[in-house]
Formats: sequence, structure tokens, C-alpha cells
Amino acid sequence: MSDLETVLRRAELFEGLTPEEFEKISALCREQRCLAGETITRQGAGGDSLYVVCDGFVEVSLSGPEPDMSPRTVVHLGRGQIFGEMALVDQGPRSATVRSITDHTVVQAIDRQAFMRLCEEDHHLGYVVMRNMAADLSFKLRHRNLTGR
Amino acid sequence: MTATYKVSYVVRGEDHPGAILNMDHAPQVGEHVHIGEREFTVVEVLELIPSRDEFHFLHATVKAG
Repeated sequence: MSDLETVLRRAELFEGLTPEEFEKISALCREQRCLAGETITRQGAGGDSLYVVCDGFVEVSLSGPEPDMSPRTVVHLGRGQIFGEMALVDQGPRSATVRSITDHTVVQAIDRQAFMRLCEEDHHLGYVVMRNMAADLSFKLRHRNLTGR
Repeated sequence: MTATYKVSYVVRGEDHPGAILNMDHAPQVGEHVHIGEREFTVVEVLELIPSRDEFHFLHATVKAG
């Protein structure tokens, strides 16, 4: 098993995939290495990728509706977590700004169009990944409820 | 496949957003964890939702230091 597979297999998003399905997903991944402070997605911008954190940490922050309101950090995401999934599901603009907060952050980017095409072609893969994505969104909501932010 | 522990870390006593990350073991009370560049101490661990296959879903409260 490659290093990429080892890391991705421990991401909940891909739990339940067959080895063949997993290989198809792995083939879509593009590694991105980030320094602390580097912005990966910007709130309001268009989004064409889903990301999986493989190492390090990212910070997810939201800007308020008024231009003079300072951004509010809502969560830090570490190994195995995904972000960018909302734009992938609803095709809307990015809902948050995500930046690396450690110098060794490594993420895998998965192109939205290629990913959605794969889900259309392989319905089992599509079902499993979408179920896991819903569970991940639910977990994030539980976390927000616990932090009260 | 080995077990994976998906943990929601909530920081007690300060305005911090907490973190979500996967661990290869369940955090233990008294253990030190790194969130970003900071170190915290685990003070409480609870199961947040039931486990699914090899994935366990936990909530841990931590404090600075």
C-alpha cells in the first residue's frame, strides 16, 4: 500500500470503499504542501476541489456580513479531515476561508468535476462517499455545538 | 485495518475554536496533545457517537499546558 493510500484509508470519507474504488479515488488526488499562513480556499471564491488534510493543521474562518467585521475562526482541522465539501455538494461559492497554520501542512486536492463524474459512473462509490460526507458534516455540527461558536 | 479515532477537541477556559483530527489511539486523561503549534492537556474523554466499523468518534475536553 502506498503512503497516499495509507493516509487516505484513515480518512472517514473513504470508509467502506472496495480496494478497486479506492484506487479510482487515489488516482484523482493531487498533493499540495503549504506553509503556515498560506490560504488554500477563500470565502466567496469559486471552488473546484475537495481537500483532505494528510498532515499538519488548517484553520477554518468565517467573515461576517459587514466588511469591517473581523474573521472568526470556527475550527482547526487536522489529519484525516476534509474541507471544501460544501462547494462540492452545492456548487456554490466557498463558505469559509481555510489557511494552513503549520509549516508542514500537506493536503490532497480532488477535482470536483472528476470526482462527481466518478460518483455518477460508480453508484456504490458515490453512495458511500456521499454518506460519509454527510456524516462528516454532522460531526462538524456537533463540534460547533460543543464549542458554542 | 487498524482503528481510527476521530476526535472533537474542545478547549476549556479560553476562547479557542477547538479542533477535529484523527488519532491512531484514543486520547487519555492527562495526555498532552498538539493542536496547531500549541500543546494542551486532556482532561475528559467521552464517546460522542457510536463507532462504525474501525472508526471511533470521541469528544475530548482539553486545557492549556
